[in-house]
Formats: sequence, C-alpha cells, structure tokens
Amino acid sequence: MNEILVILPVLIPLTAAAVAMLLRPLPRAQAFWSFGAMLTACVASAYLLWTVAGAGQPVVFQMGGWPAPFGITLVADALSATLAFMSQLVFVFGFIYALGAKDKAVHHDTFYPLFLALATGLTGGMLTGDIFNLFVMVELVVISGIALTAMSDDRYGPEAAFKYFLISTVASFCLLFGIGLLYVGYGTLNMADLAQRISADPGQPVLPAAVVFLTVTFMIKSAAVPFHFWQPDFHTASPTPVSAMLSSVVVKIGVYGFLRLTTLLVPQVEWLNGALIVIGVAGVIFGGLGAIGTHNAKRMFAYSTLAQIGFIYVGVGWGTPLSLAAAVLFTFNHALIKSAMLMLSGYLASRAPVKTASFSVVRGMGKYAPAAGVLFFLGGMALAGVPPMNGFVSKLALFQSGVVAAQAGLIESEAFFWVPLALIGLSSVLTLVYVFRALMTVWWEPFQPRSPEEKVKPRGDSLLAPAGLVALCVALGVWGQPLVQWSQDVSAWMAQPQRYVRAVLGPEATWLR
Amino acid sequence: MEILRAFAIGALFGIGLYQLLRRNVIRVAIGLVILSNAVNLFLLSVGAYDGIVEAYAKAVGQRSDALPQALILTAIVISMGGFSFMLALLYVIAVRYRTGDSDEVRGLSH
Repeated sequence: MNEILVILPVLIPLTAAAVAMLLRPLPRAQAFWSFGAMLTACVASAYLLWTVAGAGQPVVFQMGGWPAPFGITLVADALSATLAFMSQLVFVFGFIYALGAKDKAVHHDTFYPLFLALATGLTGGMLTGDIFNLFVMVELVVISGIALTAMSDDRYGPEAAFKYFLISTVASFCLLFGIGLLYVGYGTLNMADLAQRISADPGQPVLPAAVVFLTVTFMIKSAAVPFHFWQPDFHTASPTPVSAMLSSVVVKIGVYGFLRLTTLLVPQVEWLNGALIVIGVAGVIFGGLGAIGTHNAKRMFAYSTLAQIGFIYVGVGWGTPLSLAAAVLFTFNHALIKSAMLMLSGYLASRAPVKTASFSVVRGMGKYAPAAGVLFFLGGMALAGVPPMNGFVSKLALFQSGVVAAQAGLIESEAFFWVPLALIGLSSVLTLVYVFRALMTVWWEPFQPRSPEEKVKPRGDSLLAPAGLVALCVALGVWGQPLVQWSQDVSAWMAQPQRYVRAVLGPEATWLR
Repeated sequence: MEILRAFAIGALFGIGLYQLLRRNVIRVAIGLVILSNAVNLFLLSVGAYDGIVEAYAKAVGQRSDALPQALILTAIVISMGGFSFMLALLYVIAVRYRTGDSDEVRGLSH
C-alpha cells in the first residue's frame, strides 16, 4: 500500500495542471484549485519523507506492475524524498506569493497550469529511478520554465527565454547522448540496475564519455561555471514567483544529479570529485564578484545562487560522509533563503514607480516598506551565514567537514581542502558585502525620484510568502538539530548504495563493489 | 557500415554546432534541429548493443533492440514541442527587436 505514496507527489500536480487548464474561465477558482493541489502534493511528499525515514528503507513503485529493470521505477530513498519535499515546500510558498502578486503574468490564464507543470517536472526528476524518465522530466521543467518566463511582465522576457531555451536544449541533447552511451555500454536504463552493472564492469570504454556528457548536462542545469551565463538574465526577467522557484529549487536538479552520480552510479570515477571541487570554487568566486558588480537586486541574487551552488559542489566533491551531509543541509537551507530573498526583491519591484528591481529605481524606497526591510535584513543574515540563522548552520557544517577531512588526511593532496576552505571563507565576506550594500542602498539612503511625478506605489505584492520563508529560516537556525541529524542520516544512506539497488531490484541483487 | 554511420553522426554534430554558433537566429534554430537529429541517429545505432543488430540491418534471423526506437520516438515528440515553441518565441523577438541578428538581441546585458 505504501508504494502508491511515491507517485502521489508527481501525480497530484500533473492531474491538477490538466484540470486547471479546464478552469481557465474562472481565474480565482483556478488559482485556489492550483494552490490547494500544490498543498496536497506537499503534504503527500512530507508523508512520503516521514514513511521513508520511519521504515529505514526506500519506497519503490513499479509503474504498470512491470518488474524493475524493464518498467519505469519511481524510487524514494532518503535523498530523493528530502529533495522532493524541499522542492514542494518552496513551491507552496511560491503559490502563496503568486496568489498575492500584482503581475499581469500571474493573471494570465495559463500561468497556474504551467507553474504546476514546473513542480511536476522537478519532483518527478528527483523521484524517478529511470534515467530516461529523468530526461523527460527535465524537459518538462525546461519547457514550462521558458513558457513562464516568456509571458513575464519584463519586456525582455522572450529574450531571456530564448537564451535559456538554446542552452538547455544543448544540455538535453548532452543528457540524451550520455543516456545512449550508457545504454550501449550496459544495456539498461534503470538507475539501480545501471549502478550494479557499472560496479561489475567499470572498464567499459564508453563510461568516461558518458560521465563527461552527464557532467556537462548537470552543470548547465545548475548553472555552474562556465555554463552560468544564461542564469542571471533568465532569473531576472522571469515573473517574481517563478524566478524565486528557478533560482532556489529548479537549479537543485543538477545538484541532485551530481549527488546520484558520485554516490550511486559512478563512485569509482575519481576525477569527477576533483572536477566538482574546481567547479565549485570557481562558482564561489565568480558568483561573489558578479553579485557585487550588479545594479539590480534580482540579478544580484541570481549571481549569489551561482556562489551558493559552488559551496554545495565543494561539499559534494570532498565526498566524505560529513561533507555530503553538509551539502544536503546546504541545499535545503539555500532553497528557503534564496526564494525568500528573490520574493523580497520582487516585492520592491512591485512597489517601485517603474516595475524593476534595479537599484537606481528602488534606491531609498525602504522608508515606505519597513516590514520588507526587517525580512530582508534577516534573510540577508541567513544568506551570509550569521549565527542565529539557518545559513550559519549549513556553512558551519561545510567548514567543519572540510577541516575534519583535512586533519584526518582523507585525501592525498591537502590542497583540495585548504584552498577551497580559504576561498569559500573569503566568499562569505563577499556575501556580507553585497547583501549589506543592497540593504543600505534601499533602506538607508534617501528616496530620490528621478521626476516629481514618480511615487512609490501604496500597495504591492503580498509579503506573506517571504515572511513565512524567513520564519522557517529562523526556526531552522534556532532549532537546527533535527535537520542536521537528518542530513547525516541521508549521507549514511548515500554511503550504502546497495540499499537503493536491493530495494529496486529485489534482495537477491548482486553487489560486487 | 559502422564507419559510415560514425562519420554521418559526427558530420551532423559538426554542422549542427556550427549553425548553433551563427549570429542569425533562424540558423541557430536550424542548428538545433540538426543536432537533435544527430543524437537521434546515434540512438538508433545504439540498437547494436551486445550482439543484437541495429534496427536497419538486413541480417536475417537476428533481432534488433526495440528500446532505442522508443527513446527516439519520445525524444522526437519532445523536441517537436520545444521547437514549435521556439519558433513562436523567435517571431516575438523579430517583432520586438526588429532584427534577426543575435548580437543585437541584447536588452538584458546591462
């Protein structure tokens, strides 16, 4: 009976999107129907996470009753259930923001179906146990993402959507090519079966090529350096509720892909870990410097995502149990912080005389938005990693895992620990610089309208969603222990891929590593 | 036959990538279509896994693997939807920017 739980977080938003298409003549009914469906799906994925944690076993659903390597399998182990719950939790807040938003795009009659499709693709990609199904779900994310951005109020929406479409289509072809190569070499598409066969025969000549193609794909999906150039444009131009989702949870599909690659599919490919550390450090530096150089609040936080994803990749690259736990913790906390900060930037844009989050327009506007200032301050502290907030917990976990691994001598070259540690320490200072620059520009400087008729609008988007997210950030900082404990459990699951393989293929599955 | 197939896939990849990097946005779109066909052709030849012949071999009495063909079918359907959306997007861009040169479509780079 429990098996059906795995499909609910995917099936509910998908069905609801189809019904929401029929509800187009009734805009309010459509909006509340979509929100209700998302909330139900989030409750379902929370229950799924609870079940997985309680049972200590992955929950597996074989679609259509086909046995494992032949049919499509949905698997919820600790990692995928956690990330699916994280995505849907943030999406619930995204829907709350959309319900109170003033954008024209949000009132377009296909906005909610597309938003639900985005949630479906993301959750499905994380819960699937079939690598081709992952491709299909990623395509769903891409197509609904570009459609949502193209309908944005920002007049550069179509341009940003076009850029993203080009780069992400190339990424999809890389993914498809990598899948094809794996199929040539191992004759299966099921991730558990693939892991088993790769561990039995890691010397196939196509394996390095397949890993390179999958690496490029996940780098583009998570906007890692050097494939980050589309991301600030895309996340700036999309409607606020959508950009909050894109920059916080949608990029996490790449993180999920790398976690699966390094812990389940190809743990024996050692250059991948080194590459991830280099990518991560480059992202941390590029993102921090890029964020300081921008003139738009939304764009600044898009660059900041680049830096934060870099932190996560350094943790994944180190690959010790503690650093993997830190990476999962960082992923969860960053999703909450970044969506709150982008929503606050969007709120400022909705109050501004001209609808933009550019600093030249919103300078000094903070006098009229004190509540947003408090939230922005708390969220900025969380982003920079200042103690009572959840950002501090995740950064501390990452640093500690690095120091512990370096002292234990877990890797031959110590430069792989100390250099990243020094650089991410420096980058934390950069985070503080750009967050407080934004805070001072908007809330401390006097308001200077460029012409006398420019006035701050009396009402903007609703602040309910960012307030809820910031409250969660504070709560997870003060009572961080359960989440830290759970992230270490997730890391323990990742250290035992045979649990995943046996749950999918049956207890008699051979494990030769 | 295998050499020919490999060269065909490689040539399609090369042409597709070259067109993708051109400045004219219509050529970029065509480049993407060619790239997608290169990947599809590769998947079709993947049927030759482990002693099973590819789909278009004329060997008598040997089976070909049907799974890659199912993959191609799915990939074609998905890319068809994507390309039709992109053509609509290109129309909007052409109307709004009055140009087909991707170097002049740069409203966001400030």
